[in-house]
Amino acid sequence: MSIITISRGSYSKGKEVAEKVAGQLGYECISREVIIEASERFKVSEAKLIKAIHDAPSIFERISQDKKTFITYIQSAFASRLKRDNIVYHGLAGHLLLKGIPHVLKIRIIAEMKDRIATEVERENINEKHARLFLLKDDKARRKWTKSLYGVDPWDSSLYDLVIHIHKLTVDNAVDFICQAATSEQFKTTEISRQKMEDLALACQIKAALLEQNFDVSVISEYGNVLVYTKASDRSVYKLEKRVKTLSREIEGINNLEVRSGMQFPPDVI
Amino acid sequence: MQNIGAAALFLPAIQRVGKSLKIPVSRLLMPIGFSAILGGTVTLVGSSPLILLNDLLAPFNLEPFSLFDVTPVGIALVVSGILCFVVFGRFILPKGTASEGDAESSTEIESVMEDIGEIYELKTPDDFTDFRESITVGYLRRRYLVDIVALTEAPDFKVISPGPEVEIRSNADIAVYGRENDVRRLAEKGAMIIKDNLEVFKDEFVDSASGSVEAVVAPRSPLEGKTLNQVNLQDRFRVTPLAVYRHGETYRAEIGDLVLAVGDAILLHGTWARLKILQEEKSLLFTTPVDVELLRPDKAVFAALWLIVALTMVLVFKIQLSVCLMTGALGMIINRVLSIDEAYRAVDWRTIFLLAGLIPLGIATEKTGTAAWIAHTTLDIVGTVKPVVLIALIGVLSTIFTLVISNVGATVLLVPLVVNMAIAANADPRMAALVVGLATSNSFILPTHQVNALYMGPGRYRSVDFMKAGMLVSIIFLAVMVGMIYLVYGL
Repeated sequence: MSIITISRGSYSKGKEVAEKVAGQLGYECISREVIIEASERFKVSEAKLIKAIHDAPSIFERISQDKKTFITYIQSAFASRLKRDNIVYHGLAGHLLLKGIPHVLKIRIIAEMKDRIATEVERENINEKHARLFLLKDDKARRKWTKSLYGVDPWDSSLYDLVIHIHKLTVDNAVDFICQAATSEQFKTTEISRQKMEDLALACQIKAALLEQNFDVSVISEYGNVLVYTKASDRSVYKLEKRVKTLSREIEGINNLEVRSGMQFPPDVI
Repeated sequence: MQNIGAAALFLPAIQRVGKSLKIPVSRLLMPIGFSAILGGTVTLVGSSPLILLNDLLAPFNLEPFSLFDVTPVGIALVVSGILCFVVFGRFILPKGTASEGDAESSTEIESVMEDIGEIYELKTPDDFTDFRESITVGYLRRRYLVDIVALTEAPDFKVISPGPEVEIRSNADIAVYGRENDVRRLAEKGAMIIKDNLEVFKDEFVDSASGSVEAVVAPRSPLEGKTLNQVNLQDRFRVTPLAVYRHGETYRAEIGDLVLAVGDAILLHGTWARLKILQEEKSLLFTTPVDVELLRPDKAVFAALWLIVALTMVLVFKIQLSVCLMTGALGMIINRVLSIDEAYRAVDWRTIFLLAGLIPLGIATEKTGTAAWIAHTTLDIVGTVKPVVLIALIGVLSTIFTLVISNVGATVLLVPLVVNMAIAANADPRMAALVVGLATSNSFILPTHQVNALYMGPGRYRSVDFMKAGMLVSIIFLAVMVGMIYLVYGL
């Protein structure tokens, strides 16, 4: 009864590990499904969503409102999906999208560069030099993306519970480690962790609904008591308050909804 | 006790009685207010004009009145006033509806209070703490947005305004401030029983013991820039913050982490004694006054003792009234029944200045012979009358005066005048002065008396209501007063 997120570089066998872990524990294995769900729920094309979470913004480009909205859509779809529990997710930034949830086992799979190049050469039928260049570029883009959005380096091992280097350790070794860790007490779903998951899903849903109408907000929920934080000035705060009032009737599970303006955002706000 | 004090003390009780018995408050307040005014005539210390009377008689070398000299007349006046309402009440009192009675002018804080909810008493089940992590006051607040304002702890302790870390035990009674649906959610999830009324905490949460106030973070307040968690009002003052009001928004959730800014209004709940201590710390400005009389039962013995000393001085040693009462007051200050500041605040400075102006005026009219001249001229116009008619005339004159100027002012002005008139007409000048002292309490026709002014708002009276009932009561007052003085003292 837990959630496992596997962060990986391309060709580092992370997907294989994820699928085997899911098979062994009888969990559901998801990755692209989240994007598909977000695309269906919020009526945005998959390509746009993938672009939003894949391409890092250039130096001159700030993260656009659209991009923020798309990422919130994905986060919202992700959180609602994960409410079901018993899931292995391998994809971008799963551990970051689920911050504050206690029963998530966060894994990072890395592989030896030589092995990665060999796999890519074999699969893509390109020469070694090109493969190396592609991998370096891809790694750089992913690091940049995570840094620009979440302000952390995905290569920082302290973000994870377990970092497994696939080289001397095989995929099967990795699967064993992960399964063993997943069954330990601290990763079991509790009433509190389930509530936090629900709160996260609710906060994401509200944020998505408000971003759709161009309100730049951050949201946090605790037991259905939702706080919407904004940096906006008086006039748009008034509009936001009006919208928030109708929202509390539209979305289920809201117990209380308050708008907070002109104050510091708490650290775990979405 | 001064009649205005008694009237203010009774007001909340009358409102509650009216509400529970479904009697319009407008049918209760006026008779009680009138009775309070009439009750002031029973002793020589019951109302300001009578307290003054002996001092006003001093320049004429007349024998001073003793404390209970007016009692027979006073009792007759009270009885006749009450009888008047019993017999004619239904005709002279305004007909209000019960719901209208308790509709006081709704202030902003009241509308915020509706937003916040009210107090409920709940009981936790026997297995409340079994097989789970401890449940704290802070947890229930975060989860259900309710404030635990009191709880019981074994064996029989009551904790008022417990801090957020205090655990809630099995089989405990808790008093919860919150919206009804939040409280119901709490009761449902926690398998608690909601009681119909406050039972265990009924004494702690009566209006006279505790309540909610709005307090604003003042400029240069030490609270500015701090969070409520840091300030920890629960542990330091035993006062619970219920909500924060900022820029027209009421914040209920997570107010503990809110960084306080100047102008933030905090809605606080606690006992009046605790709120008063917080108010005296001066870090918050209270927009709703904490003016409920704080009772000090431990000082009752001293208060009674000094009252007896003062009365003994009046009755046994025949010392001047003002000296006796001042001794009593000083004694109470020495024994800390009340502080010197409270004593200062209790002084009605308007009366002091009024007297400071009027007494010299009275002396001047006396010394220059103006009073005697007015008296003689009046008597010349009226002609020779019997003392009883003169007394009645003085009564009417005093009544008219007290309707337009304060009762104290009327007394100071009229006493020298009527004493001269009585001397000129061969009537008893002491009786004439007594009539003034009594008839200046005959202030029912217009809401000028402090008691009537106090009750006018809560009772939703119009001036015409006072005229209707007051006219009859005033006439009966005059008749009974003159009759009783005639019977008791002879003229």
